[in-house]
Amino acid sequence: MTPLVPQIVIRPEIETAVGEADHGEVARQLTLWEKLVDMDPVRKFSILILLMVVWEAYTQLSGVSELILPKFSSTAAALWAAITGEQLMIMVWNSMKILITGYVIGLVIATVLSTAAIMTRFGSDVLSTLTAMLNPLPAIALLPLALLWFGLGSDSIVFTLLHSVIWPVALNAHTGFMGVSETQRMVGRNYGLRGLTYVVKVLIPAAFPQILMGLKIGWAYAWRTLIAAELVFGGAIADTEGTASGGLGWFVFSNQMDMQIPHVFAGLFMVILVGVIVENVIFTNIEIKTIRKWGMQAQ
Amino acid sequence: MSTSDKKIPQLVIRDEFIADEIKDAHTGDVAVELSTLEKIWNINGVRKASILLGLVVIWQAYTVGFDVEPLMFPTFSFSLEKLIADLLSGNLPPKIWFSIKVLIIGYSAGMVIAAVLVLWATASRLGSDFIATATAMFNPLPAIAMLPLAMLWFGLGTASLVFVLVHSVLWAVALNTHTGFRNVSQTLRMIGQNYALTGVPFVVKILVPAALPSILAGMKVGWAFAWRTLIGAELVFGASSGSGGLGWYIFESSQNIETEGVFAGLFMVILIGIVVENVVFRNIELKTVNRWGMQR
Repeated sequence: MTPLVPQIVIRPEIETAVGEADHGEVARQLTLWEKLVDMDPVRKFSILILLMVVWEAYTQLSGVSELILPKFSSTAAALWAAITGEQLMIMVWNSMKILITGYVIGLVIATVLSTAAIMTRFGSDVLSTLTAMLNPLPAIALLPLALLWFGLGSDSIVFTLLHSVIWPVALNAHTGFMGVSETQRMVGRNYGLRGLTYVVKVLIPAAFPQILMGLKIGWAYAWRTLIAAELVFGGAIADTEGTASGGLGWFVFSNQMDMQIPHVFAGLFMVILVGVIVENVIFTNIEIKTIRKWGMQAQ
Repeated sequence: MSTSDKKIPQLVIRDEFIADEIKDAHTGDVAVELSTLEKIWNINGVRKASILLGLVVIWQAYTVGFDVEPLMFPTFSFSLEKLIADLLSGNLPPKIWFSIKVLIIGYSAGMVIAAVLVLWATASRLGSDFIATATAMFNPLPAIAMLPLAMLWFGLGTASLVFVLVHSVLWAVALNTHTGFRNVSQTLRMIGQNYALTGVPFVVKILVPAALPSILAGMKVGWAFAWRTLIGAELVFGASSGSGGLGWYIFESSQNIETEGVFAGLFMVILIGIVVENVVFRNIELKTVNRWGMQR
């Protein structure tokens, strides 16, 4: 067997003529147009306006029935009419009242549960068993039971909201507490903190990113549950408590039943608006004032 | 600044003293054999199972002991009997299958649309802006609120349910995937460029694996929203789609005041939820992000 001998390859010699070095424009003043396009809000607003224009143009030109897809202009008019003349804001307030009641009570119960869970091993076991079982259960599925136990009324909706808030909040808070570093715990013990003060001064600030995440998920579930519950049974509640006592979901549903499609879209706009305000104003502000200020979250 | 009003710390000199005697050092038990009971109690599964058992016993004892009206709150055994009876009699399985089928169709359609949108967003700034605007607008809108419109456009039936499910999955997944892609480190991107990957291969081979924890989080949120939306939609309008699903089973039972049927349906909903979250998603996590060392 002959060993492989690497062949020596001799490449032909070449000479490259080096051209004149040219480094193009180093810095250039952007044109006004480019500067405008570089602004984030400008681009996003123009996308929104473009969507509206497309919608309006499509409905105007294709002559699609108002009952299938109303014009953007008639939707805006319906929204304005509903706010000024049809007590839409009162309905929004009705929804928010129930939502806040359920959310606050849910938070209190979740706090008690997760505090018990970090104090004792038994509490921790109870919490993890309950969340594993009840977190995958959609809260709205409990509405038929709630109606049976509490009757038609806001009590039933508050009960389902409780269920939709407690488990994600308690679960996230507990995970957050478990992940607090030993160093921070020892700092707390060094100051002689114990029991409730230990939880409030050490564990809660340290686990706040997780807790806030739980609060946001809890809000998202609660908002979805509330709208669904009102879509279904809002009418019954409105009937028992007089007109204009239904919520936003009921506004959407009753207008769909009356084939007032522009009003349905107006209701959806209102739902989006409330959601955007809660997520982008309230929660973002809490984030800026707490975890971002404390340097726990990247910009 | 004057130094006169500055407080000077006082020097404290403590009395000297000698401790009378040094006691014998005593090291307690260094290691104790745990008793069998303690060993059993230290097993996680045992503790959790006994808590579950305790809850069931309390439920049964309360309903039997206080003689609660079964229409309001049936006993545990009665509910379980109903569940098993309906599972065996073939009443429940087609309903479960109906729900799962609709869920899978809606979920996969939502994933495909989300993938297309995110691909567009990685390719151009216009796409990225579009996704940011659309998710900011539609993510806070509960999918179930679209149901009245969906019924108007697609009629009563599976198509409306699928439309609503797509809406509930799409935005959560698109938002998380897009954020995940944007946070992929420059180093990883440069490795991809080094291998001359561009376009779809770059996304599939670099961005998707690097952003998988975030994508999985989005898929889990999407699943949670979709599952909630589906049960909600079926509770309301499931009947109209002919056969009806699990949500419809619950609603039907509650309308017939068969509360044990409501509980049987709830058991099934919990069971499916646990299987999807703790078996399906857990296994995907174990096989990918855990194995790749991206998550503990």
